[in-house]
Amino acid sequence: MLMEESFVENGFIIDLSNAKDTSQLVHELSSIMEHPDVKGKNLCLKLGSTDLKQSQLLSIKALIETMGASIAFVDTSSEQTEASAVSLGVMISKVKDNENIGSLGISEETTSEEITDKVIEVVADTQMTSPSIETTEGIEDVYDEVSTEELSEIIPSESYNNSDFGALAVHEGLIPTEEASKYIILDTGNVLPEGVEENTIDTKTLPTLYINQTLRSGQTISYEGNILIIGDAHPGSEIIAGGDITVWGILGGIAHAGNCGNITAKVRALKLNAIQLRIAGLYARRNDTLNVPYVQKSNEFTPEEALIEEGKIVIYKKLRRD
Amino acid sequence: MTGRVIVITSGKGGVGKTTTSANIGTALAKSGYKVVLIDTDLGLRNLDLLLGLENRIVYTIVDVIEERCKLRQALVKDKKNPNLSLLAAAQTRDKTAVNADQLKEICDTLKEENDFVLVDCPAGIEQGFQNAVAGASEAIVVTTPEMSAIRDADRIIGLLATKEEITSTKLLLNRVRPNLIKTNEMMSVDDVVGILEIPLVGIIPEDTGIITSTNKGEPIVNDETALAGKAYRNVAERILGEEVPFLNLDEPKGFMAKIKNAFAKLKAKV
Repeated sequence: MLMEESFVENGFIIDLSNAKDTSQLVHELSSIMEHPDVKGKNLCLKLGSTDLKQSQLLSIKALIETMGASIAFVDTSSEQTEASAVSLGVMISKVKDNENIGSLGISEETTSEEITDKVIEVVADTQMTSPSIETTEGIEDVYDEVSTEELSEIIPSESYNNSDFGALAVHEGLIPTEEASKYIILDTGNVLPEGVEENTIDTKTLPTLYINQTLRSGQTISYEGNILIIGDAHPGSEIIAGGDITVWGILGGIAHAGNCGNITAKVRALKLNAIQLRIAGLYARRNDTLNVPYVQKSNEFTPEEALIEEGKIVIYKKLRRD
Repeated sequence: MTGRVIVITSGKGGVGKTTTSANIGTALAKSGYKVVLIDTDLGLRNLDLLLGLENRIVYTIVDVIEERCKLRQALVKDKKNPNLSLLAAAQTRDKTAVNADQLKEICDTLKEENDFVLVDCPAGIEQGFQNAVAGASEAIVVTTPEMSAIRDADRIIGLLATKEEITSTKLLLNRVRPNLIKTNEMMSVDDVVGILEIPLVGIIPEDTGIITSTNKGEPIVNDETALAGKAYRNVAERILGEEVPFLNLDEPKGFMAKIKNAFAKLKAKV
């Protein structure tokens, strides 16, 4: 485990001493800070041997303060961090090693039990995102609804030991959607368009087309690389990409990824409701049963990703962590 | 004086563009502003009917463009309100008789002497639409809570966004039926605004009074008792920059209904 919290005078000890570098440290801290129970608490940060410049510690302090909490003191073995803390007027102290979550239950405050529960919740939450989590345990915890046979196909276990967040893109946390027949392949479909050879052009060499607006009916976007749209793509719009299509919103129009024969192309959206999904030469229409006139806006969207697997368009859903 | 040129458009036909133009125009004129309504639906003109001015038309917009008359001569004054005038469309010609530059010139001339120039746009996205939006700097998109009308409105909003001159596009939701929304048979106002994502300028309830008012050539804003008339007056006030709350369409209208409602609440408590 990368971190553990314990109860200190209306506060938490946050153990960030295992963080490899500053960015990981900030990443871990910010994921903890999102927890509602941290608000208003005094935090003790165990920073280990990480070297923090004054500006870095200041921004960490600012992060904590914007979330409504404050730093009680820091525990560090680095001289530089110590100097930074002194210059910022942050107290330095040592946290006893035997102070752990187990001892919380006998705390004198009546609310301590409640808090203990929450502390453990925080830990449990962060376990899932923690890259150094033990593989088997983690999968059982997170994916208890999915049989292990399926998992072995979907989630390569190595990906869990991968600490590079950027590499955990495709299958991590994605499960095939239960609506298996959400899209129906049209008869015309060959994996490759007629007369086109398989073409995995390296879309990484092309800049990504970034569109920060809503696509409305009748508007078409066509580009040979990857397309990223921040906004919805309304029904009647059309997006055609040589590479992947990512819509940070509701995708309701037609999306054609890998239109020049790139069968590894993917279409992803916060809500995948495209009237037609096309990847390379495969054309799929939305199942008639899902032909709702409109999608209501919601904060509960489950991101989805469509790709070609074994000659079919398969849709993966991002697993919810609740 | 430089007036505001507002185009009233929708994409789909029959959603109430012309009714909206006539009513907003009349309401603005009643508030003391000088208003000109331009009907750009060449060949299928209706705006004159709604205002009851059909019999007064001598010259039309095509006559102005083809220089058979002066612009001032072609403006037909309203029966009741001298602040309101109409530039009628030619019934015997089609959309190709006018081009966008000519319409823009007319709008530019008219806004010199008027507070508001309201352009009633024809349905569709062809020449007629391009003409109507040419001189405008603001747009009101009329739609009804039906998927087909919303889809067309979405298309129109996309097209308006490509016009640099148009700085503000607002939504007017017409023919809303609160009792159908309650039973989930009609899309709610929030649903429509959620789809189209532009600010709302008005919600007009379905009102059978509109039919009679159209037939009589008397805009419903002149009817002080009609709910739709009240809603259109509110739209006019919002155009003038006032903050007017949207009508609570759920509220029972009559006095008796209010009493009934109170009894129902009492019963529920017991």
